[in-house]
Amino acid sequence: MASVPIQFEIHPSSGVPIFRQIMDQVRAQVASGRLKAGDLLPSVRQMGAELQVNMMTVSKAYSRLEAEGVLERDRGMGMRVRTASPTSASVGDRQQELRELVDHVVTRGLQLGLTDEQVVAVVKMVLKERR
Amino acid sequence: MMSELIIESQSLHRSFGSTAVLQGIDLSIQRGMVVGLLGLNGSGKSTLIKCLLGLLRVSAGQARVFGEDPWVLSGAAKARLGYVPQDVKLYPWMTVSQVIGYTAAFYPKWDFALSEKLTSRWDLDRGQRVGPLSPGQLQKLGLILALGHRPDLLILDEPVAALDPVARREFLKSLLEVTQDEQHTVLFSTHITSDLERVASHVALLKEGRLALFEDLDTIKDRVKRLRISTTGPLPHAFSVAGALRTEVTGQTALVAATNVSDRMVNDLRSQWDAEVNVEDLNLEEIFLELHQEPERRLPI
Repeated sequence: MASVPIQFEIHPSSGVPIFRQIMDQVRAQVASGRLKAGDLLPSVRQMGAELQVNMMTVSKAYSRLEAEGVLERDRGMGMRVRTASPTSASVGDRQQELRELVDHVVTRGLQLGLTDEQVVAVVKMVLKERR
Repeated sequence: MMSELIIESQSLHRSFGSTAVLQGIDLSIQRGMVVGLLGLNGSGKSTLIKCLLGLLRVSAGQARVFGEDPWVLSGAAKARLGYVPQDVKLYPWMTVSQVIGYTAAFYPKWDFALSEKLTSRWDLDRGQRVGPLSPGQLQKLGLILALGHRPDLLILDEPVAALDPVARREFLKSLLEVTQDEQHTVLFSTHITSDLERVASHVALLKEGRLALFEDLDTIKDRVKRLRISTTGPLPHAFSVAGALRTEVTGQTALVAATNVSDRMVNDLRSQWDAEVNVEDLNLEEIFLELHQEPERRLPI
């Protein structure tokens, strides 16, 4: 079975380490459904050549995603998106992950002089547009 | 996996007359590392490289390459080493293929398939004499000569300085191919931090004759951050943050570049000063600049 084509955008000169950029994009593609359970990711070698980055960087990203339960190693084949999706983490854990981002949003909202209710209203508005 | 030390130095000093260029370098580079060597012009990058190659004798301290003293490096160790100097100097009357053949003759295990592949990839005319080659073409040829025997250790002194962006990318691609088995070790000096960010596993930064930084690149990016701190009351004159590279305090705001930033440290700052703290990621060029700025500036409101 062929691996899914790479649709990653890597910025080596960002302040975010390249392995974290790869991790974020795999997670995002899994969350959006573009990568589905069982999908085979490109090999470390392929990915390194395609993105023109050090292979150690790619294998570091893959190993950490494996440890997080997003990917699983398929012996002799490579890395697959795990069948049991990472939503197996508890609600509390997932909320904790979101907190940091919300923190920025709230800070910005208060800087703009919005009330608590007005900030919450914006979040609800965005959620509604998604449904 | 056993980590084998390929390059090692302890308290390495080198002076030219009364000018101390290297003032105590402790370096240990393990097999598989790809180390980018950064530093201002005149910070001692080439001097360090030459000391490691045995082209210069150390003034004090010691250096080891493959466990040997570089000044008296054995033939066996030299056969495992590839080097491209800043200025590639070759016999001007030889053609490109003659220079390759001549160099290959010194090595029992020359990989002609590789040198042929690189010659084609880099578009070098095999029948062209070396004399009229451009600096960029010479640098490419120098790289072919350094890579042809598949050295375990590759040392490059500003390998891409004379290359155009297309050739630079080709070079990086070749470097990534060489290092992909994680058995090869590379030390290269450069001013182009974006290249380094793609290929390097580690960064060594020379400043005023010392190693200001030697660390895993990912760890550097994870830990070195710029903090924008603003408080409701004025900050004390002596405001400081642990591990600060640079501190700028103006009344109720402070700008701090620090080397050991973590979530916990940021939260501590928030609660200690009742402050708003924004964390900025820094790329290697910005970190390099932070390291070379005046460390402190304190202005009244």
